[in-house]
Amino acid sequence: MTFFEVVFYAFSTLMVVAALGVVSARNPVHSVLFLVLTFFAGSAIWLLLEAEFLAITLVLVYVGAVMVLFLFVVMMLDINITRMREGLMRYAPFGIAIAILLIVQMIMVVGPENFGLQAFAAPELHGADYSNTKELGRVLYTDYVYAFELASVILLVAIVAAITLTMRRRPNTRHQIPGEQMKVMKQDRLRIVNMKSETIDSEDK
Amino acid sequence: MLENYIPVLIFICVGLFVGVAMIALGGFILAPSKPDEVKNSPYECGFSAFEDARLKFDVRFYLVAILFIIFDLEIAFLFPWAIVLEDVGLFGILAMGIFLGILVIGFIYEWKKGALEWE
Amino acid sequence: MMTLEMLNLSIAMPEMFLLALACTVLVVDVYLKDSQRNVTYMLSQLGLIITLILISQQTPQNNEWTRELAFNGLFVNDLLATVLKYAVVLLVAIVFVYSRRYLQDRNIFKGEFYVLGLFGLLGMMVMISANHFLSMYLGLELLSLSLYAMVAFDRENPNAAEAAMKYFVLGAIASGMLLYGMSMVYGMTGSLNIVEVAVALDQMEGDNIVLIFGLVFMVIGISFKLGAVPFHMWIPDVYHGSPTTVTSYIATAPKVAGFAMVIRLLAESMGSFQADWQGMMIILAVLSMAVGNVIAIAQTNLKRLLAYSTISHVGFIMLGLLAGNQEGYSAAMFYTLTYTLMSLGGFGIIILLTRKGFEADNINDLKGLNQRSPWFAFIMLIVVFSMAGVPPTVGFWAKLAVLKAVVNIDMLWLALVAVFFSIIGIFYYLRIIKLMYFDDAEDKSEINCTRDMQIALSANGLSVLMLGLYPAALMSICIAAFS
Repeated sequence: MTFFEVVFYAFSTLMVVAALGVVSARNPVHSVLFLVLTFFAGSAIWLLLEAEFLAITLVLVYVGAVMVLFLFVVMMLDINITRMREGLMRYAPFGIAIAILLIVQMIMVVGPENFGLQAFAAPELHGADYSNTKELGRVLYTDYVYAFELASVILLVAIVAAITLTMRRRPNTRHQIPGEQMKVMKQDRLRIVNMKSETIDSEDK
Repeated sequence: MLENYIPVLIFICVGLFVGVAMIALGGFILAPSKPDEVKNSPYECGFSAFEDARLKFDVRFYLVAILFIIFDLEIAFLFPWAIVLEDVGLFGILAMGIFLGILVIGFIYEWKKGALEWE
Repeated sequence: MMTLEMLNLSIAMPEMFLLALACTVLVVDVYLKDSQRNVTYMLSQLGLIITLILISQQTPQNNEWTRELAFNGLFVNDLLATVLKYAVVLLVAIVFVYSRRYLQDRNIFKGEFYVLGLFGLLGMMVMISANHFLSMYLGLELLSLSLYAMVAFDRENPNAAEAAMKYFVLGAIASGMLLYGMSMVYGMTGSLNIVEVAVALDQMEGDNIVLIFGLVFMVIGISFKLGAVPFHMWIPDVYHGSPTTVTSYIATAPKVAGFAMVIRLLAESMGSFQADWQGMMIILAVLSMAVGNVIAIAQTNLKRLLAYSTISHVGFIMLGLLAGNQEGYSAAMFYTLTYTLMSLGGFGIIILLTRKGFEADNINDLKGLNQRSPWFAFIMLIVVFSMAGVPPTVGFWAKLAVLKAVVNIDMLWLALVAVFFSIIGIFYYLRIIKLMYFDDAEDKSEINCTRDMQIALSANGLSVLMLGLYPAALMSICIAAFS
């Protein structure tokens, strides 16, 4: 086994274990943290494929941002773990049976003989000065400009959808309106009253 | 290309070793561990806790987080563009201009809607 | 070095205009007061009319349709795309007409409904014009994202939230399946371009098990999006839970886009594997017709009933598609276009009968419609007859064309099965008619609705009848689209 393979199998095992952790952890927050580990291992595998930019984006966007969102969502929901377990135990045997059936079927239909090195030649590894990001950039903004612009439209729809679905105006909250505050004149707030000075007669006596 | 990442791999291994070793030494091997009920109970200024520490988060956090992700992704698209700017030329600048323009419209929308305000 | 001329932008004019329109509506809407929301509506409608004009100007110079490519082969325009785009824009425009009063009554008359509707429409047009797996997938996601948000649009309604959740989870699984299938095809052919994939597959000899494996996943993804049994679970819940205007949106235009997806992904790119996907589609079609028609009988909710009816109609569309020749494709196209029109009419009637604080989605709400409004009872009669496939409505011709295509590929048994299940289906369609004409109205309140909705709904119903009397024009367009 080459060093390359050792690294690959190490991260693959880590990824499978972490993915199992995601679905089996009792606490949903632990699930999210396992998911972080899964993504991290995934990004290492992508890096082995020389998909440098995607690997780093996966860490940056998924581990950095999406997981924060997941944590918020998990904490936002009031998840009753014991109640969820009840349903799980009822359906688990059924689900596991179907999953095993599917996996066995898939392996029987498309076994490893269809994917190994005898089916596809191994891609050549690039030298130290190869930049995957550069290769990606060269086609992304020219040949695939249509897909690139569509991606921005999808992001725009995501903005609109998120705001439409979750933003609530709270009518009771009190705001500071700095503009209004600055415009206040002396006569709006201050009333000068002319009055006689009061003497405390009773106490003198 | 992969040889550039060897230091990262070494760093991960060292980090993993240090982290595991510290916790194992401090938490399981060296430190005495004699838990009892009082030690394990949550501490709140001397009297017993009023409620669960796990409060429900406000949905506003979610909105801020998702808006952050969207613009984070947008930034991710800028990196390869910045690297190949000389190759893609004016066309690339135009493509990125439209991309950013569409997202600026989203930005105007969220600003005017007040989604960026924390009431 | 790329230049703008190389993109051949002019043939993507309608899409670019629609994008500009959606962005304009979005920005204009945030500057409007709540009382001025009609401006958003008018602006969207005006924009859709201009989009229709732009699409109709996409005719080639000497009336000889060819596949014109743009954006480096990610985008294609042909007669099929032009006709389907015309249909989706028209359907969305009519949905917008139907939606206004409904949304106002429920205090959800917000600009976002129209903005999301327009973005969803853009997604459909991208799908229809996709010549690349990537643009197909992006169009699909653009459509789906807009739909998920539209379903959950009425935030006070817990049913809508539940429907949106189910739709989102199942839709995401379906997208995953589709992508997985596409990745297998990409691995084997080395291209994502639909034409290049087709060429690569033609040159391949023998059975390639990995490709068929990928094909299975693609068919599953497509069936999820179209709602064919056994991937139909989301349809009744989503149709039932979402606001009726959103249901009428989901039930119409996306079906046309789904049809385009089948044509582009299965017929155009995987054409040489036709024998393989034909077998899968036979199962899907038979199951859809059986489950859709049988379960619809037990429904008391009108929206759920129409949902199961949709499932059975998807089965019929698949009958045409699985024929795998020009006749079958054009019959399926004719069926899709006319079915969406009927479906739009059916949901239009539900929207017509609803009023503030009352959702007319129970089948008993149709009771005595003839006493309350003979005209709209007649419109509903046409629509329901057409769904059942009774002549002289267009539904009859659609079913006939599809069945003919199936018989011509020597699958008489399949045609007989289809006829058997559509006879079962007539039962629940006739129940609707019985309720409208032979039962007394429980609720005698007058039907009041805006003038534009009355005109649109009448035109919608009458067009089903007119197309039934004169089906030749649309049929010849459908045949030309595949020649």
